[in-house]
Amino acid sequence: MDALSTTGLTKTYGHRDLPIKRPGSRPSGIVRALEDLTISVDEGEIFGFLGPNGAGKSTTIRLLLGFLHPTVGSAQVLGFDIVRDSVAIRGRVGYLPGGIALYDSLSGKGLLDYLGDLTGRPSSRRAELLDRLELSARTLDRPVRDYSRGMRQKIGIIQALQHDPELAILDEPTEGLDPLMQRAFYEILDDLKAAGRTIFFSSHVLSEVERVCDRVAIVRRGRLVALQEVASLLEHRKRNVELRAASDDDVPTLDDVPGVSSIARPADGRLTCQLEGDVGPFLAAIAGHRISDLTIEPAHLEEAFLELYQDAEPEDDGASHAVPAAEPAIPVGAAR
Amino acid sequence: MNRAIFVRTWRAQRLKLLICSIAIAAWSVFLPVIYQSFGSQMRALVDSGVIPKQLMNFGGGDVFSLSGSIAIGYIHPIAIVLVGIFAVGFTTSAVAGERQRGTLEVILARPVSRRAVYGTLLVSALVFIAIVLAAAIGGTILGSGLAGVASELPVDRLPLLWLNGILLWGAIAAIGLAASVSFDRLAPALGITLALTVISYFLEILGSLWPDAKGLQPYSLFHYLAPREVLNGAASASGFAILAIVAAVAIGWALVEFPRRDLAAPS
Repeated sequence: MDALSTTGLTKTYGHRDLPIKRPGSRPSGIVRALEDLTISVDEGEIFGFLGPNGAGKSTTIRLLLGFLHPTVGSAQVLGFDIVRDSVAIRGRVGYLPGGIALYDSLSGKGLLDYLGDLTGRPSSRRAELLDRLELSARTLDRPVRDYSRGMRQKIGIIQALQHDPELAILDEPTEGLDPLMQRAFYEILDDLKAAGRTIFFSSHVLSEVERVCDRVAIVRRGRLVALQEVASLLEHRKRNVELRAASDDDVPTLDDVPGVSSIARPADGRLTCQLEGDVGPFLAAIAGHRISDLTIEPAHLEEAFLELYQDAEPEDDGASHAVPAAEPAIPVGAAR
Repeated sequence: MNRAIFVRTWRAQRLKLLICSIAIAAWSVFLPVIYQSFGSQMRALVDSGVIPKQLMNFGGGDVFSLSGSIAIGYIHPIAIVLVGIFAVGFTTSAVAGERQRGTLEVILARPVSRRAVYGTLLVSALVFIAIVLAAAIGGTILGSGLAGVASELPVDRLPLLWLNGILLWGAIAAIGLAASVSFDRLAPALGITLALTVISYFLEILGSLWPDAKGLQPYSLFHYLAPREVLNGAASASGFAILAIVAAVAIGWALVEFPRRDLAAPS
């Protein structure tokens, strides 16, 4: 069963009486924050949701939680409709907003108790989370206004996960955490996944998405541009290769080797190139040459992400955009 | 109605509530004492023409009778500010203020409907207003006793006076909460509610002091706060009904508007 699925989920903002313009015409004043998003997240999966600021990540999350109402399309979370059953959804979901704001006058314990009471489920994971994120009882007795950014983020993580939700929606969860706490957080995610919980994970930190997520969706200007397993997304990325031969005469000729491109031979027996796909032909081509050093950098999600974005239009600042005109009209009257 | 939100709201407001209640009670003690001590001298002054007669009709009250002096206490800016702290200040910040600070996010991410949040905040505001007004009535009773005019106080009509106050301030609180759920920032919600309250107050006071402006008074919510008439047994049911209707319209607006609003990410 899908923990979460969306079908053509679209969110526009703007005056309901303004018509949507045709392509090439002036902007209509209607903004499409999210357009025709269709994704599904499996139960027990850690799903990364990527995109720059204004791409539609927060809009999607807010639609799923009932903060926003979809203009077109539908979505189900844990089998519940996001419009009709919003309260039921929020009873089963843990949510960490990006840049979470907390009640400064409350103590950490008071805040967690309050939010736990509102959730109406026992805070069965709180003690474990406090222990793993190294928040002591003494710290919890202090008012939140005295907390550092990292401590606030820890409280944010705990309030989202303390009731052991079936689905956790986490927006920039490691923001403000030091590397040790980031690692502790990743271990928490691993444990949640092992327990069959689903994580919907939005982040700008591509290395951590690569580290923790099974699949990623990448959105740009409100549209889904990629939805793949992380491993599959990386499989076809170009890896940077640098080799050093014992002498210039030992530098192999790689021009006709499948998957090799951008070959450069600076000097001193060095060669750099990019390698895509199967490494076998490359290894065969350098066999028999006296190679003193070889480095093949692993492909990173960052390159895949940047590649998907490099064809962005010059005026694309990552912000929500006015409706391009050639698209079919939609009932913007339902935009509220 | 959500118990956890109510308890949290109560804890957050209780010190302010205590201070306002003590202050308004002290103010209410003061007025019967003024009436007893200076009522006859003030009448002599007015009769002598030193003080314009209209000035003695401030807000529908006077200092020549116990009911008139109590009425002045209710319409005086001191009482307005003390009750307005909850009817205007609390209500407008209850939703819009939390939106602006970003704390509404963590509440609405819980299994609580927006209507339940609104209903809890409305009940909280009414409870706070009721407590402050009860303190005012308690002060009136105490002041009348201290001044030796308790026999003039129609104690059986005090609950109706309390209800009249709750209806007025409840209507203003309902407007404040309606504004609060309609905006993402505190300033417009507070500005609109404060402007409505101040204009309404101004119309009532102007009409009470200037006969030519009397026709403006029915447009003021404060016109339907009638402590003297209530204590004299001459209160009009229509005034109570108008306040109730205003409150009902504001509540209806909020109950429709809040759930259907898009709550974008706080900036």
